[in-house]
Amino acid sequence: MLTCDTDGDVALRASGLVKEYRRGRAVDGVDLTVGVGERVALLGPNGAGKTTTLLMCLGAVRPDAGEIEILGHRLPRQRTRAMAHVGFAAGYLPLPAQVRVLEYLRLFGRLYGLRRPDDAARAGLERFGISDLARAMGTELSSGQKTLVGIVKAAMHRPRLLVLDEPTASLDPAVALRVRTGLRELSHELGTALLVTSHNMVEVERLCERVVFLSHGRVVADGTAAEITDRFGREDLEDVFLHLAKTRSAPEGVAG
Amino acid sequence: MSLPTYGPAAGTMWRVLAIARRHAYVLQRSPHRLFDVLVWPVVDVLLFGSIGVFAASQATTGAQRVALYLLVGVILWHVVYQAQIAVATGFLEESWSRSVLNLMATPLREWEYIFGVALFGLVKLVVGVGAVTVIVWGAFAFNVAGIGPAMIAVAALLLVIGWSIALFVIGLVLRFGSGAEAFAWGILFVVMPLSGVFYPVDALPALLRPLAEILPTTHAFSAGRTVAAGNPMPWGEFGLAAAGTAGLTLVGLGYVTWMLRIFRKRGFVTRYS
Repeated sequence: MLTCDTDGDVALRASGLVKEYRRGRAVDGVDLTVGVGERVALLGPNGAGKTTTLLMCLGAVRPDAGEIEILGHRLPRQRTRAMAHVGFAAGYLPLPAQVRVLEYLRLFGRLYGLRRPDDAARAGLERFGISDLARAMGTELSSGQKTLVGIVKAAMHRPRLLVLDEPTASLDPAVALRVRTGLRELSHELGTALLVTSHNMVEVERLCERVVFLSHGRVVADGTAAEITDRFGREDLEDVFLHLAKTRSAPEGVAG
Repeated sequence: MSLPTYGPAAGTMWRVLAIARRHAYVLQRSPHRLFDVLVWPVVDVLLFGSIGVFAASQATTGAQRVALYLLVGVILWHVVYQAQIAVATGFLEESWSRSVLNLMATPLREWEYIFGVALFGLVKLVVGVGAVTVIVWGAFAFNVAGIGPAMIAVAALLLVIGWSIALFVIGLVLRFGSGAEAFAWGILFVVMPLSGVFYPVDALPALLRPLAEILPTTHAFSAGRTVAAGNPMPWGEFGLAAAGTAGLTLVGLGYVTWMLRIFRKRGFVTRYS
């Protein structure tokens, strides 16, 4: 069975993350905590540092400074243990062309150490309403279907933390609704924490309980959607987003 | 509720097997890749075997030996080449299919990945070299299996050399991106003439001989020729090949580890996403 030493109710704790590339500082002292079962959106304009932050939290990019713990497992030393409890999907990552959907899911089930990956794969396909795709080849799927399969892949081992980078970017509204419903069910039934980036503010408000805004690699706001819109004196999250993208100025105060 | 999972040791085994299976799917669904595994080895054997037979038919002194060297050389060459190409293109496959980030976000360890690709590469090697062995026996009446276990020891060294060179290629691709993938196919063809695959390195221009002497492949091919000619294993030569292979493996591991560190530090994973 998957076991882990949780540090209280924290699924992810990242503190003081810094990442500097040649073109400049992408992430500049980000603190980010996601509670067990919490649904958090990481928002910000292009180049704000969202994806770099996610990649550091997955152990794919090494921070220049700062610490990351997933369910009590410190990265990078305990990456393998930590990743057993993490699922990841990104709307922009394709499916390999030469495998059937079930084969692809079986592969990742094995990588996550599942004893019965086929059962987990079928349950995941059913949860997101795409059981009929089990025998389809990667090349036969639409971009929306590929995204759905990617999310099934990320969630099939019942992770404690699900990291999703723009998960519904290529989905029509009906399928995006199915994804949101499936993710909310996962979170309610299994206590899976979600960390989601998206440019769809409506979706974020419907799916996530908390929003963390990044700008210029820094956290500039952290709270519920209502708290953030109040703080910036704007009508909704989209308005806050446009404001941040337009000003691109110094942080307006870190909230906690 | 959590799902039943394997313990650490069984988990590692299943991850290695899963990677091997993933690459089996690639071969199964892309039959043109059989060219590397089966067609080119067979073409090479027919080409070099026929040259050898022609040379032998001229009845000049030593012509029989040239034929033997060509046949043994081409078989051993395909051991090192297939081992290298399987692992190197295995990683390239992940970059082509943009799977690198998906794999990095799982519990898969880097060495488990390499083992998985190498394991399936071994299966391809057995198929390819097996076919070649049958052809040289059927077409040229040369029984490789009759040479004995000494040849297996030489082949094992060349197998490890192939994997070690693949680590360099992976390191180059990690560092320089897919632009470095030409090395996967080209690097061994630089090593080939210097290693005396088909001839003793005495035949090389004098300037190149010192360079040839430091390559473990040179000593492995030399030991292979000696054994194939019916002589006992030249242990000195074999020892040099083994020591060189051990050194090359360590350097290869060190290089790919270094490049992986740079890959993570500079965020190069975004090249594949």
